[in-house]
Amino acid sequence: MDTFQRREVAKRVFAYELSKSTYTTSEGDRTPKYVLTPTGEKCNRVFMVGVLLDKEEVKPDSNFWRIRISDPTGVVTGFVGRYQPEALEALGDIQPPVILSIVAKLNIFEGETSKFLSIRPESINVTDTQTRDYWVIETAKHTVERIKRLMDGADEDTKLAKDVYMTDIGEYLSMVEKAVTVIKEEAEIFSEEGRGDDRTDDIADESAGLKETEEVKTEVGEARTESSEIEDIDLEDFEFEEEEWDLSDILEEE
Amino acid sequence: MAEKEDRIKILTERVLSRFEDYDINPKEVSKRLSLLINEFKVPEEEAVRTVTNYIIKELDISPSETFGESPIKSISELSRSGEWVTLKVKVFQLWDADSPNVSQVGLIGDPTGIIKFVTWAKSRKPEVEEGRSYIFRNVVTDSYGGRIQVNINRNSEIIEIDEDISLPPREIEVVGALVAIQQNSGFIQRCKTCNRVIKKGICAVHGKTESYDDLRIKGVLDDGMNFYEVILNEENLKSLTGIGVEEAREIVKESLDRESVLEELKKRLLGYYFRVRGSRGNRYFIVREIEAIDGKAVEFADSVLKEIESLKKEIGV
Repeated sequence: MDTFQRREVAKRVFAYELSKSTYTTSEGDRTPKYVLTPTGEKCNRVFMVGVLLDKEEVKPDSNFWRIRISDPTGVVTGFVGRYQPEALEALGDIQPPVILSIVAKLNIFEGETSKFLSIRPESINVTDTQTRDYWVIETAKHTVERIKRLMDGADEDTKLAKDVYMTDIGEYLSMVEKAVTVIKEEAEIFSEEGRGDDRTDDIADESAGLKETEEVKTEVGEARTESSEIEDIDLEDFEFEEEEWDLSDILEEE
Repeated sequence: MAEKEDRIKILTERVLSRFEDYDINPKEVSKRLSLLINEFKVPEEEAVRTVTNYIIKELDISPSETFGESPIKSISELSRSGEWVTLKVKVFQLWDADSPNVSQVGLIGDPTGIIKFVTWAKSRKPEVEEGRSYIFRNVVTDSYGGRIQVNINRNSEIIEIDEDISLPPREIEVVGALVAIQQNSGFIQRCKTCNRVIKKGICAVHGKTESYDDLRIKGVLDDGMNFYEVILNEENLKSLTGIGVEEAREIVKESLDRESVLEELKKRLLGYYFRVRGSRGNRYFIVREIEAIDGKAVEFADSVLKEIESLKKEIGV
């Protein structure tokens, strides 16, 4: 009955699960694209709270930034450029490491043999540990609900996710477990030490450590993820030489 | 195979039970049901409805005679037009009928929802009163302007009952993140005559006009399942951020830019979680109370961990 275009709900998905997502669906030409995650969430938009690990201009003076966001489960890469004016403006004043809340659309770059997900933030804001804790618990609850549906195998999205990803339920239960445990233990430590809410920096350090291992894995993919975003954007808007960003080499490489 | 036949038999009896006073060949009914369900894979409910309607047409009987027992449904179950149903409801609100063809129009509700009803003048039904409960028997659903309503016609029956039907909770509570702030938010100016938001001192209705300052945020609260469009007024904003109209004026005095008020509000609100109580309006969620979440999310950690543990056991990890 709703013929007008409804706003897309911002889904809650952990970074680890997002980074494993490669499958997109679209119900028709004029309908929005959705990324199907391994536990069966269909998302067009996500809401995340995580630590900004680093921000880096893709090319000097391009005002096109690559950011890396970590939550207790993993890392996702994001790109912010002039087509995300609100996020771009906010990012300008922000220095890592810091906890951010991010509303973002998703983008999947398809190479010849592999696919990479990145996020395209619509809005970015600095936030606090309280918001981060709430997000982790909320996202944990939503993920557990999806896993339960996945186990029942009753609805279409989770069935499809199972077929596409051969989802290992244990793996995702462990992911949620890890996230919740991190938050819980930290709360316990800090309530004992009575240091209250002033734990932003420590968390950032911790996530930075976590990131080290991730980085090795994603390094290979990075070059392409980067290019994918460039591909979407009119190349003439950038000052670099166009052939430098010619994707055909990368695409045919494999 | 036998299972399928049994199912058809049960459904056949269900169809026939509505036509007890008529002489109908059960084989004919079974044949039609079987064709629809087994051959054409039509859902059972739909097949039953189709065959029932067919018989009604064939015998040229009025629905009220057979649908004397038309199913009692709750309002939340009504999803398509052309369904004959019986509802147990309370009259929530009566509106002014704007057409001579309509004798009454308004809202009726049960614990599951509220729906518009229209009583046609031609139906010659007794009028209902606000706050009283009734059985609306044999009313038919209809879709008007993209929304479902129920029509009371000649074949319907309205019976007052002693039972007090409760309405859905008028107030709901949502905890969600403020994921977007929309246009015309911030330190705004309103027309003194009509209170509309004006831009550059020009009111869309009253032209160049006298104005006054106000503060508001039109935003989207999102809990990961639904979104709610909310309007936060000066009072709400002052309690959340400490910024009211007075403080906004101070900010503008320093920055010489009205927009900086919105920037300041965004920094304090965007991406944060809020607990909101209020009622659902047509488009906007009417906020009665809003507060920042408390820092107690971690208290739910143990129950989530417990659930994970039991799921792990279930799959044998």
